[in-house]
Amino acid sequence: MVALARKTLIYEWRRFLPAILAVGFAGLLQLLQLALVLGIFGSTSLYITGSSADVWIGYPGTQSVGQGRSIDGDVESRILMDPAVKRVEPYIWVDGDWRGTKETGGVSVFVSGIDTSPEGLMFSKALPLDLRQRLNEPDAVVVDRSDLDQLGVDIGQTATINGHEVRVVGISTGLRALGGVNVLCSLDTARHLDSDAEDIGPTYLVAKLYDPTQAKAVAMRLRGDSAFGPYTTWSADHFAHVSVRYWMFDTGAGAGVLFLAGIVFLVGAVITSQTLIAAVNGSVREYATLNALGVGVGALRRVVLEQAFWVGALGLLGASVLGVALLMLARGQNVPVVLNLPAALGCIVLVMGLAAVSGLAAMRSLRAADPATLLR
Amino acid sequence: MNPAIKSSAAAADKKTTVALQAENVSKAFVSGKQRTQVLDGLSLHINAAELTLISGPSGCGKSTLLAVLSGLQKLDGGRVLALGSELGQLDLRALERFRLQHTGFVFQGFNLFPALNAFEQVELPLNHMGMSRSEARERARNSLDEVGLSHRMKLRPSELSGGEKQRVAIARALAKEPELLFADEPTSALDAANGQMIIDILHRIARTHGTTVLCVSHDPRLVVHADRVLAMEDGRILSDQRNDAPVSASKGTP
Repeated sequence: MVALARKTLIYEWRRFLPAILAVGFAGLLQLLQLALVLGIFGSTSLYITGSSADVWIGYPGTQSVGQGRSIDGDVESRILMDPAVKRVEPYIWVDGDWRGTKETGGVSVFVSGIDTSPEGLMFSKALPLDLRQRLNEPDAVVVDRSDLDQLGVDIGQTATINGHEVRVVGISTGLRALGGVNVLCSLDTARHLDSDAEDIGPTYLVAKLYDPTQAKAVAMRLRGDSAFGPYTTWSADHFAHVSVRYWMFDTGAGAGVLFLAGIVFLVGAVITSQTLIAAVNGSVREYATLNALGVGVGALRRVVLEQAFWVGALGLLGASVLGVALLMLARGQNVPVVLNLPAALGCIVLVMGLAAVSGLAAMRSLRAADPATLLR
Repeated sequence: MNPAIKSSAAAADKKTTVALQAENVSKAFVSGKQRTQVLDGLSLHINAAELTLISGPSGCGKSTLLAVLSGLQKLDGGRVLALGSELGQLDLRALERFRLQHTGFVFQGFNLFPALNAFEQVELPLNHMGMSRSEARERARNSLDEVGLSHRMKLRPSELSGGEKQRVAIARALAKEPELLFADEPTSALDAANGQMIIDILHRIARTHGTTVLCVSHDPRLVVHADRVLAMEDGRILSDQRNDAPVSASKGTP
């Protein structure tokens, strides 16, 4: 079989280059945008994904981790009564106003009061054991390296949160937050920093199960008991999902992302289809001759679709190479970017979909390949 | 339509069979409110294994006649029988299949794919005829050899002269081994020597392959080379002449 589509693509590469570039850059934009969104909004569920708790217990209707309300501390005994539960610990969230020693003004901080014992669940994946232990000192806090400038402190220095003095005893990484700065401390320090008299109990209780795969079932089972005041339960996965979704859709950020994705797709498809249409028009007499010789319209359409496929594949290749390089650069600069398999697959589907749509549009111009027009 | 024309054609050649037959064919084109009757009740027979030339001034309807006889264009009235099939009865798919199996085309513009070399141009349509790769290559080689281009097989159109390009186009049509070969102004874009070579090849194809070659041209140089010349004007055939001893095709071939 003579590879008409590929040979034409190679021989007339200048003609196809704009389409390949359009597909490539559309793919690259989608990829980077998605990686950024996943990175940024993924950090809103850091409290859950960075911890090893299987079930979360909090105030009913909580829309994201940062919007909890205190629950009755006695709920803990109710949770512990369940035979599937291995360990329960409180987690205190305090919104704080940070005043550093340098001229930084007031900085909004999210204080996380956690169980500092070595088997503690909160931030077990994000906080090294030695740093966790150092939080036992009174008024000790740990912050993320990338937030030091913003907070105007360095290790060993003091600052105030909500008017109480704290001391930076350690610096960690991977604790960046969205819309504020994460500050980690012990439960005692957190209670100390909480200026709200209404907060009588912890913001959350987090539980570890003997069998983590049972998280969903246990969360369902623990729900609905109001003897200890209002509370509800989520499996960790579910609560992380709820938090990310809140940021993605209820804040309008997600809608913006989707809108931009649509625009990128549209622009890419317009440029690509126009280029492919021009390529088909440039060969329309040759296609018409083939049709006169009896080569079916279906076979000619396949040639156009194959060209669209190669344009998509080449664009994707370029986007992948550039995308990986840019993502590595971003990682190096502490820009939160995350790319997982479903997101990468989504980008591939989108780019090839764009190429396919353009190919279908170009196929329409084969209608002009009527062999009767060759006879004048 | 004209009994004199029919009888003279039939009388001239007793032993040949009829490959193409048009009966009372009419075709009009409408553009806006203007309706132009291009063919009006035209009837004719084209004999097999002959080079038939339809000549006439531009706009006389000869290209339309070719389009109608080859099944590229639908009729308004009448019928066309090609190799015993009534083309009007075939749907688009069946017409494509008919053309794939039985017809070859040569156009004024050579219509070669810029990206393919001469060999691939000829091989490409054969790929769609369901023959094996080796058979397609064998046929392509033989066909290019027959038009004298076996030494230029690996060249792209941009590296070929006009005459060579038209010979590639003929080889492309010929490799299908069609019973019917249609040529529309095949020499108009060529100089005298190349035009001569093309018409010689077409004539030889009719003789040696038994192919029915129907050529449309206003090029007066071709008249002496045809077995039969139909002169057309205003959608009608004015005269039907036979060259009983056409100029030999043996000289001037590559």
